[in-house]
Amino acid sequence: MADKYLVEPDVNFVKEIVRLGGGDVKKCFQCATCSVVCPISPDNKPFPRKEMIAAQWGLKDKLVSNLDIWLCHQCGDCSTQCPRGANPGDVLGAIRSYAISEYAVPKWLAKAVNDPEKLPVLMLIPVVIFLVLGFITGLMNFSPGGEEIVHSNFFSSWLVDLIFVPLTVWVIAIFAMGLNRFIKDMHESAVREGKTNKSRVELAGFFQAFVRILPVILKHSKFTECSENKDRATAHLMVFYSFIGLFIVTNIFFVVLYVFQIHGPYSQLNPVKWLANISGIALVIGSALMIKNRMAKTTQSTSYKDWYLLGLVLGLGLTGMFTEMTRLAGAANLSYFMYFIHLVFVFNLFAYLPFSKLAHIVYRTVAMAYAEYANR
Amino acid sequence: MTEEKAAPASGSILVVGGGISGLTTALEAAEVGYEVFIVEKNPYLGGRVAQLNQYFPKLCPPSCGLEINFRRIKDNPRIKVFTLAEVEKVDGTAGSYNVSIKLNPRFVNENCVACDDCVEVCPVDRNNEFNFNMDKTKAIYRPNEMSFPMRYVIDSSVCKGEECGKCIEACKYSAIDLNMAAKTINLTVGAIVWATGWVPYDATKIDNLGFGKYDNIVTNMMMERLAAPNGPTKGKILRPSDNKEPESIAFVQCAGSRDENHLPYCSYICCMASLKQATYVRERFADAKIYIFYIDIRTPGQRYEKFYKKIKEDENIFLIKGKVAEVSEDPGSKNITVVAENAVTGEKIKQEVDMVVLATGMQPATADTKLPTEDLQYSEDGFIVNDFDKGGMFAAGCANKPADVVTSNQNATGMALKAIQTMVKR
Repeated sequence: MADKYLVEPDVNFVKEIVRLGGGDVKKCFQCATCSVVCPISPDNKPFPRKEMIAAQWGLKDKLVSNLDIWLCHQCGDCSTQCPRGANPGDVLGAIRSYAISEYAVPKWLAKAVNDPEKLPVLMLIPVVIFLVLGFITGLMNFSPGGEEIVHSNFFSSWLVDLIFVPLTVWVIAIFAMGLNRFIKDMHESAVREGKTNKSRVELAGFFQAFVRILPVILKHSKFTECSENKDRATAHLMVFYSFIGLFIVTNIFFVVLYVFQIHGPYSQLNPVKWLANISGIALVIGSALMIKNRMAKTTQSTSYKDWYLLGLVLGLGLTGMFTEMTRLAGAANLSYFMYFIHLVFVFNLFAYLPFSKLAHIVYRTVAMAYAEYANR
Repeated sequence: MTEEKAAPASGSILVVGGGISGLTTALEAAEVGYEVFIVEKNPYLGGRVAQLNQYFPKLCPPSCGLEINFRRIKDNPRIKVFTLAEVEKVDGTAGSYNVSIKLNPRFVNENCVACDDCVEVCPVDRNNEFNFNMDKTKAIYRPNEMSFPMRYVIDSSVCKGEECGKCIEACKYSAIDLNMAAKTINLTVGAIVWATGWVPYDATKIDNLGFGKYDNIVTNMMMERLAAPNGPTKGKILRPSDNKEPESIAFVQCAGSRDENHLPYCSYICCMASLKQATYVRERFADAKIYIFYIDIRTPGQRYEKFYKKIKEDENIFLIKGKVAEVSEDPGSKNITVVAENAVTGEKIKQEVDMVVLATGMQPATADTKLPTEDLQYSEDGFIVNDFDKGGMFAAGCANKPADVVTSNQNATGMALKAIQTMVKR
């Protein structure tokens, strides 16, 4: 702070932070209670007091590249003890949301993902793509018939992969571009603010740091250090592990399909199927719990970005389970319809991943790895 | 002012509360010719000021100012004082109120000469609230060294009564009457000034600051008593756990003040109080280090600002911008570590000190229990809001807002005039 710094306030940034859930940011009077009560804030340049004043002043550049916003797990301890009701936890959440949009390209898509009015369009995009590609390639059959309900008879696995494999490439590319800028900015800002003793980011060291923080992420041990929102950790863990479970299942069945040429549906006795079912149930319960917690918690602000993601996740889980249940019940048309809707949800969650709140999987992981690497 | 105009008094004024504001209102009104009743619930006059060691910024003892006021009361036949008294009911309207007042028994009559013989024989101890329970008195006691009226009092909640009766035997002046009973009197007054004052905010409510949990964390009012020559340590500042002279002290500003979870407002006096108390420590212990943790130092006005500047020059006093939000105790040494973020350097500070003073704020006495009248308006925080259009009843001093002694006195003088205006219908 002793260094000279030309303040360049960005008023629109402040307005965005307010819109994204940081509506109480201006109540802060810099008492620094938050920095002390935060159980995961470091001793050197602790957060979130300094982020609060930077947000009030509209210092966008200082914040979007700030690794500390990602070290925050929104425990809510700061918000509870804040003497002014400025809700630092929510403000940092809003800044993170802004930072995600900042590092994602194309910008218009990032904007659309954060705009409730664009939701119907976003939902319609996969519908159109599915139908058009299905029609052109002939890989979609509206009267699959047959004794057994086989979803790939309606919506061919080829079609699924024709859409989702390129989509994976696109998501990775967007993240790669975003991370490239993010890591560079984050490092520069850490050096400028004296948060690190490393002069440059070395890939090997960074990767080693990443390996070291993996157990922290897998155990959610930072999350559980919080006292105020401890209940949230359980729900988050459920959703987190169900995603991992479903990721594993998808990959195994991908191999089974293309390498062993075995088509689904697979037997309920198959252990991979167990994993799929358990993950699906955990996803529904976990996301429903998260929604319930948010609705019950009046002290924590919940804005569109939160409902959007929670809605998608719950929708994903529910449609997935319904698809399976209707299949087992023999309701062919309903099951095919459910499968279609399920794929629309998958597309939404996946294609817009770099733009939605879910991008925190990537940014928080990278920031935590960087903090470990940089001795923050 | 000529003699003819001096006393157009018609009707009398009731002043509720015998602290510095109440005394001032009473004296100002009485000295221009009005009859005044002072109703005080404690057995002595002087209120919170009587508990202080020194006033800021002049650092003179409050006994001085209080003594002058007591003298003026003694000399003024128009003032009638009721101690151990509480207003029970108020009827009527501006210009004519009927007030019933409960007079609690003192069990000691005006024969008392404060010789202390009774105390020597009394077998029962009680917590001394005047010193914030840091020491004890006997069941029969003198409220404080300069009590006015200078009469002993018996705490009936602990006194064994007739079956003991040792004090009665010991008293050479027949001053003790254990059969005294409470009685109610009725007064007709034209105006009422509520000078019901304040209580220190209950520091045990501030979970994260450890008061009540760790011995060496005291409040600022306790610090006044520790520093006062008539206090529990006779003016030596010793930390409670082991009576050691503290080598380092941290002051925690805004302890429960400017905080939505406690008192949302600024209590106005705590910054000056802590700066003042820093001088208590410095004059006693030449090498003691003092750490004052604050959000903002609020020293309004030129005189207070000057005081602050002088304190800042002291090399042993460190002012740190950042509120203390966490404390812990070393179980061995009983030292306290306070944690704050220095908002100027952006570093978290963990400062170990011998003793911590919480600068707790003022809560109006009317915060929890409202006064026995429907005619008063209260703010959200429990302060009485004055309605000058309606008139008749007024709040003076800290019953109306957090204030220092000077402001309270100015305000109290104003309320004396308001009370007089009610009666002359202007």
